[in-house]
Amino acid sequence: MVVPNALVIAWKALRRNRMQTALTMLGMTIGVATVLTMIALGSGAQKAIQDQVKAAGMNMLLVTAGNYQAQRERPPDDAIEMGRLHNPEVEMQPHLQLAMFHPEDDPFAVHDHPTSRQRLGDAEAGLGAAATLTLDDAEAVRKIKGVQYAVEGVHENVHVASGDTRWFTRVHGDGSALPEIRRSWKFTHGGFFSARQQRNKDQVVVLGSIVAEKLFGDKSPVGETVTLWKQPFKVVGVVTSANWMVTPEAGDDQFDAVYLPVTTMQSLLNLSKLNDITVTTESTGDVTRVAKTITTVLRSRHGIDSNHPDDFTVTSQASKALLKGGLRPDVAQAVTGNVGGLEKVTLDQLGKTLDKSSKTMTALLASIATVSLIVGGIGIMNIMMLSVTERTREIGIRRAVGAREKEVLMQFIYESVTLSVVGGLLGILIGTVAAISISHVVQWSTSISPLSILLSFGISAAVGIFFGYYPAREASRVAPLTSLRFE
Amino acid sequence: MNPVISVRSLTKTYHVGEHQVHALRSISLDVYPGEFVSVIGPSGSGKSTLMHILGCLDQPTSGQYFLDGRDVSRLSDDEISLVRNKQIGFVFQGFNLLTRTSALENVELPLLYGTGNVSAAERRKRAMAALKSVGLESRWDHHTNQLSGGQQQRVAIARALLNNPSILLADEPTGNLDSKTSIEVMEIFQSLQRERGITIVLITHELDVAAYGSRIMTFKDGNILSDVANDSRRHASGELESLPVPAEGVL
Ligand SMILES: Nc1ncnc2c1ncn2[C@@H]1O[C@H](COP(=O)(O)OP(=O)(O)O)[C@@H](O)[C@H]1O
Ligand SMILES: [Mg+2]
Repeated sequence: MVVPNALVIAWKALRRNRMQTALTMLGMTIGVATVLTMIALGSGAQKAIQDQVKAAGMNMLLVTAGNYQAQRERPPDDAIEMGRLHNPEVEMQPHLQLAMFHPEDDPFAVHDHPTSRQRLGDAEAGLGAAATLTLDDAEAVRKIKGVQYAVEGVHENVHVASGDTRWFTRVHGDGSALPEIRRSWKFTHGGFFSARQQRNKDQVVVLGSIVAEKLFGDKSPVGETVTLWKQPFKVVGVVTSANWMVTPEAGDDQFDAVYLPVTTMQSLLNLSKLNDITVTTESTGDVTRVAKTITTVLRSRHGIDSNHPDDFTVTSQASKALLKGGLRPDVAQAVTGNVGGLEKVTLDQLGKTLDKSSKTMTALLASIATVSLIVGGIGIMNIMMLSVTERTREIGIRRAVGAREKEVLMQFIYESVTLSVVGGLLGILIGTVAAISISHVVQWSTSISPLSILLSFGISAAVGIFFGYYPAREASRVAPLTSLRFE
Repeated sequence: MNPVISVRSLTKTYHVGEHQVHALRSISLDVYPGEFVSVIGPSGSGKSTLMHILGCLDQPTSGQYFLDGRDVSRLSDDEISLVRNKQIGFVFQGFNLLTRTSALENVELPLLYGTGNVSAAERRKRAMAALKSVGLESRWDHHTNQLSGGQQQRVAIARALLNNPSILLADEPTGNLDSKTSIEVMEIFQSLQRERGITIVLITHELDVAAYGSRIMTFKDGNILSDVANDSRRHASGELESLPVPAEGVL
């Protein structure tokens, strides 16, 4: 027989007291449902804050080629400096700021040659003196522990043309993981190019919303062909801002721009180096450590001994992002609330504050969960204790027909476990439904993980056993006779 | 023949506050297989106390009790539970059935305990057979509160008989029943003794009920006053036939 007798007995006994069974289960159900909903909402809120912070780039590091602090030799006078026009993210020394030129005076136009030998090289593309970062460097950074994404970047200016319409804009050669870093992006049409297209050096392009509008108006450009350097590129997507604080404008670096696979760009322009590598860390508190590791790794890759300065610069985005208002003001306030003086906030402090606040949240949720489960458990224990006194007659009858102490004990334990587990399962159901409907109503993301469901189930069973054991032992010790005497 | 029940110098003393109540004062008796012993005595004379000890539901204060030659005081709780499960059947004045539970499930109860796993189908089959032997198979799904006193007592008897016990202990089984129903219960008892050779100890305070036994033991104040064979035994089956009104299953 598969089902143990004690379970059959317990089930029949619970069925006899339907009302009491239902009410006790209800206690457990409410407990588990509350816990699950709280955890779902809480971790949803936590995730929302994390997302906000990540969207603002607090976990972001930028590795740029060259080291402008090191005061190395000036670039040759005839070097054409460009590529920084609309990139306010990177601080530069004044003498390295972009030389101004008329937008129509595109230096690349003269290099629009179809064969690679005639194309632009690293030096002419302005990567000469500071050209120190390679795709392999990016790969090495990607392998560092704590690094979430590392995306290569080559930045130039370009003429994009569709038919007769031309638009002078920024072109970014990037890795396909870029949208994972730009958390405040959304695609109005299509999507970003794939890792496969990047590997294959496909001539595909993603348009910023400004470029798309200039070239195609309201029409969807996906599937259309645009020309860069007299080469045809297939449009695969249009990107715009999902952040209400950032509106795409002509001249900005993100949305008045086009994106190509970095490999395509390197091969077309005959480049071998990168301008920068954008890195995000898995944890906001980890940024400083990861920055140090990146420095160590790149120094050793570049063969720099301890007497020489870095030939690259690692900068963080955090404090800047915060002050610039990339964060929603309320979130920024919550994050920095207990750090005195926003201007003095260091990256480390910010990361730690964030980690601490999420730990506090977790601890709070855990204690609420514990309390409600204990309350549910005590409810079960209370009912079971009542049961034992109420049901001495039943216990006596069972003992008289041959139930052993152990069998009475098991019956009562099975009863309380059945109460807690069935109650718990219902609670999981109701909690899940509640969390989903709340998230629909208040538009607040909730996350119910399989783990928290599994945990609720396990804890329900444990509560049943723990709080059922004492009453069950009392039941098993009821003397057979006490209840059978007929008065 | 060896006695199935053998009791020597059995006493049971209850302590109520500072008082001592001597429910049994040095009782010795033997009951042989197949006997139908009626124990009679006034209320409070210790009859129930004796039955509880014989049924291993309670322990004596002193003295010895051999059941089938085994000293019960040396048995563990598990062994005693097994004895109650297999060897002894109980019938009480108050029926002691599980409420809000069908007749069938009440009768099945002993099969959920004890050694050997009995499948649900087998449990049901045997419980139905037992219900049939007391004439209640048509009421198998009735809850106990939907049955008359006589029917409830017959459910209790069916339950007591389920594991084919060798001893049936009955404490005032007719105490809550009218006279005709009492005769019917006695008819079941007598046929059990006759056809299955079950040893019966019947406790009662009514002489006319005690008269169905083959041996009558009289109790008074925790002592056995007399213990004699019953020369003028009543026979329930004959009495039922001669009853004026035919039984229409009104029970
Ligand atoms: N649990 C008990 N505690 C105290 N006194 C008891 C208890 N059970 C029985 N008695 C006393 O023992 C005596 C015998 O009782 P009992 O065996 O029930 O008598 P009977 O069944 O013959 O009416 C009575 O005086 C009764 O009050
Ligand atoms: Mg009595």
